[in-house]
Amino acid sequence: MPFQLPTFAHRVIRYRSTRITSEGLQFLIFVLAIGIAAINTGNNLFYLLLAMMLSLILVSGIAAEYCLRRLGVRRHLPDLLFVNTPVTTSLVVKNRKSRLTSFSLTLSDVRDNQFLSPNMELHSIPPGASRVLSYQLTPTRRGKLLLNGVRISTEFPFGLFTKRAFYPIEDTLVVCPELQPVNDRLLRGLFAAGYEQAVHRRGHGSDLYNLRLYQAGDDSRSIHWPTTARTSQLTIRETEAEEQRRAIICVPTSVPMSHDASFERAVSLAASLVQHLTRHSYSIQLRLGSERSSFGQGEAHGLDLLRMLGLCERITPTAQSEMKQDQWADAHSELGGGGTAVVIQAWSDSVGETELPWIRIDGALIPGGAHVA
Amino acid sequence: MLLSQALHLTSMLLASASFIGLTLGAGLPEWLAAVTGATLIAVLLRNMGMKPVDRLTTQMPVSAVGWNLIVLGGFVGFWIDLLWVSGDLLPAGLHFLMILMVIKLFNLRLRRDYLHLYAISLVAMLASGSLTTDLWFFPIFSIYLLAGVWTLLLFQLTKTSEVSGDVWMSAHIRHTSHEENHRVSPRLFWIANGLALGAFLITVVIFFTIPRVNAGIYQKGFGENLRMSGFSDKVNLGAIGSIKRDPSIVMRVELPRSPLHDARPLYIRGVSFDQYDGKVWTNQLSYRRSLIEESPGTFTFRGKRAVSRSQLGEAMHQKILLEPLDTPVLFAAPFIESVTGLFPSLFFDATGAVYLPFPSSSRIEYTVVSRATVLVPADLGSEPGPYPEWVVRQYLQLPLQSDRITALAGEVTQKHYRPYEKATAIQTYLTSQYRYSLDAPLAEQHQPLEEFLFERKTGYCEHYATAMVIMLRTVGVPARLVTGFMATEWNEYGHYYVVRQQDAHAWVEVYLPHSGWIRMDPTPTEDNPPAGGPVWKVLGLIVDNIKLQWNRLFVQYSAADQLAVVRELKAEGMSVRNKALDSMTLLFGAFLTVLSGIVPHNVSQVRIGVLGELLGVAVIGLAVLFWLRRSRPWVARSLWEKGRGHELVIAQYYRRMRTYLTGQGFSNSTAIAPLELVEITHARWREAYTAVASITEVYCRTRFGHLPLTPEDLKHTEDQLRHLLELRKPQA
Repeated sequence: MPFQLPTFAHRVIRYRSTRITSEGLQFLIFVLAIGIAAINTGNNLFYLLLAMMLSLILVSGIAAEYCLRRLGVRRHLPDLLFVNTPVTTSLVVKNRKSRLTSFSLTLSDVRDNQFLSPNMELHSIPPGASRVLSYQLTPTRRGKLLLNGVRISTEFPFGLFTKRAFYPIEDTLVVCPELQPVNDRLLRGLFAAGYEQAVHRRGHGSDLYNLRLYQAGDDSRSIHWPTTARTSQLTIRETEAEEQRRAIICVPTSVPMSHDASFERAVSLAASLVQHLTRHSYSIQLRLGSERSSFGQGEAHGLDLLRMLGLCERITPTAQSEMKQDQWADAHSELGGGGTAVVIQAWSDSVGETELPWIRIDGALIPGGAHVA
Repeated sequence: MLLSQALHLTSMLLASASFIGLTLGAGLPEWLAAVTGATLIAVLLRNMGMKPVDRLTTQMPVSAVGWNLIVLGGFVGFWIDLLWVSGDLLPAGLHFLMILMVIKLFNLRLRRDYLHLYAISLVAMLASGSLTTDLWFFPIFSIYLLAGVWTLLLFQLTKTSEVSGDVWMSAHIRHTSHEENHRVSPRLFWIANGLALGAFLITVVIFFTIPRVNAGIYQKGFGENLRMSGFSDKVNLGAIGSIKRDPSIVMRVELPRSPLHDARPLYIRGVSFDQYDGKVWTNQLSYRRSLIEESPGTFTFRGKRAVSRSQLGEAMHQKILLEPLDTPVLFAAPFIESVTGLFPSLFFDATGAVYLPFPSSSRIEYTVVSRATVLVPADLGSEPGPYPEWVVRQYLQLPLQSDRITALAGEVTQKHYRPYEKATAIQTYLTSQYRYSLDAPLAEQHQPLEEFLFERKTGYCEHYATAMVIMLRTVGVPARLVTGFMATEWNEYGHYYVVRQQDAHAWVEVYLPHSGWIRMDPTPTEDNPPAGGPVWKVLGLIVDNIKLQWNRLFVQYSAADQLAVVRELKAEGMSVRNKALDSMTLLFGAFLTVLSGIVPHNVSQVRIGVLGELLGVAVIGLAVLFWLRRSRPWVARSLWEKGRGHELVIAQYYRRMRTYLTGQGFSNSTAIAPLELVEITHARWREAYTAVASITEVYCRTRFGHLPLTPEDLKHTEDQLRHLLELRKPQA
């Protein structure tokens, strides 16, 4: 495309605004008074003073525009944010002008035309130089956080007007639910359920299950050399099947609007559990309403699940969705006794009216299991 | 200098400029001017760190309440001044304004106080502008503008630096940064001056383009009018003498359509007198009638008078800038045919003098077309012809006088028959037999004319002119005395005559039957050389020319001037357009020839203009498109693309370092990473380690970290490279 004049005009019109300061208002009152005096008397020296004041206004506009032109702004943010967890956001501003210094800049991060950050002041940026400004960003709700851009304003040169320029830098971040320490009762319930259901058996894994004599056909890589050396008999190391460290976390999303706060707590609890179980090398599957993740282990999988939790949305219950409320049986059958099914329920007819979510581990209700005190 | 100090200094300069302007314009009382001036100096010295002044001003036993009481006292003083002392609102208000300035100067603590001071200084400048139109206002205004730009700029920057601080910056960096931020850097110095220059230029542009909605006919002036003598209906003999030593400028006269100065004096006529009673000249024909306004602002004489004059001498165009005088007479070269200017109306009397409705209290500018009478050959013939009855009745009046004058006149003219010859004889007699002197107290004499002619034989223009008129009338030739100015001072820098009070002059108009009124001047030239050296004279002329231009371009600038400029531009535009069309016709001549064969001739002629305009628009449009294509202002450029220049420079330095190290026995293998090379240097050549590490660090930071380089970084790297190149690796 050879040129895009509408886009250029759009930039100029949309991304610039000017506001008058209190000093500027007083200045304009003087301009008005001198203008009236000049018109009334026809005195050319009044016209000269009027011209001087008008020229100051004009120079003010031109200088402010040059001050705000050709600035480059870049934002540095972590990939994942958590509710109520402050993160440091850095803004790098570079003056791309070859000769002119930009003075008296005020920067603020903008989200949906609202200032997200405090005003950050910069005295000057020489041509070609850059400055780094940082502020603490604390998300207050989970979901997508859309940062539109950075607003830079200046009162340079005379403090009569505040000229603002908007530099669009769009960043979409996922804010995950708040992570909190998992309640001790819940942990006890979780591990108790795990031990009750634990069936020790051979399988692929890393923990030791048994040592036995070598038999033909055994994998030579499984020979336990210290015992072999000590007993002078080829001994094989058998590992405990890891399926027992599987867990399914179910969070029903069909929750009436009146239980929105409870739903948020349930999501937050699920996130805390995901983080906790990830650290303990569980293979986790997350079920959010009808949405299911795959089983997986490790940090990356954990982050994916947290992202899922960050983006999940409550839906208003319907007759069909209520039929699926009790998800434990479904999860339990999938685990086949080789794992733990945790259902975190924000609301249920059977549970009754409560502000805190209820937790069922392998079908057993954990009283006081809610992690929020 | 710290920003706060600079702000204080420029604030003082701003206040000083307005104070000087007001003092020069309003003539403040000496005590008030002294107090305000002393306060300004004291506050300035305090700011410059003069300990005694600082001690004196800070130890003043006046609390905040005390200052408020002083303000109240000043307000009461304003009313007393208004009601009993000055008796006028403007001077009383200005005195109060200065008192407020003094109080505020002692109380510059908060930013609000500075704003108050700026407001006071602006009002003072406004008052100064209303009280004067003199040239000195311009330099004061320029200083005020410069100081104003600096002050506003520093006021804004100090506001920013009070609240700013780069968040999360390390303590050391923040400290250094703030140190720099609080000082007037060279960059800031040039930016401030550049802004001031820009503001000045834009001020001039706005001043000339801003529409003059109500350009007053007469500006209200507060200065005193120049006191004149000899330009009323009744003048004592010798009255002009009182102003003959006054060098004040009365008017400036340009001759737009005449060739440049030809060294002849220019006679500027005021009024004429027909009756003399032995001591006093009076004008009996002073009945005034209004001139006809032929077109807006142009006034002419009625009926045949103008027609008869137009058949006489050549027209002389004059552009006159008249200072405020205490007489309504409008001066111009004789005889006026038309006057153009911003006048509500104009009047004339039977002697040809033109009058304003009332004396002007400010400078006025007007254009006059005059036409002098020329001597008709018939008046030199043997039959001079009879005089009209109204001339005989009005211009042959004689006072009661001694016979000595009659005898003298007869004696001088006895050999001449024709009126013109008689007039010439008397003129020659007076010019040759009498001496010019301003030291002639003839006004107190009982019979001043006799005293002049027979006793003292010295006098000035009035005496000569009176003597000639009376002598001519004695021998039957009608004549009258005329007062005005004889301009001799030509300003070659501005190409105009400077007319001063001391150029006031009286001469004679002689009526000849065929020619009418002919000017004759019996006054001999003055012996006294003009005062002042040549340098001062030249300087005086230059300054006067600047004054004239200031007055013309700024003080007198009006809506009419704006219209004239627009007309001129329009005419220029038309001229350019016509030239362009001619060129187009020339270029597309062949095409038109073909076209004329296809379409009717008149159609092709009309279309050529439209074609030319379309082509012009197309060319301009293409130029704009080309510019947009080249500059691509809509493209958001990459943030760091400008860093490429730095990368290239530092890469060059790094290459030179590697080459040098290779020469000193280090491997040139590309497999050796930069930091690895640093380690190798550290192990094998300790002396070079610092330089190599430093250069490599900057290189890595710029090349891989894409961080911008500061000039200090570059200089430091250069120094390190130079240091490295001076080192020699010891042989193992």
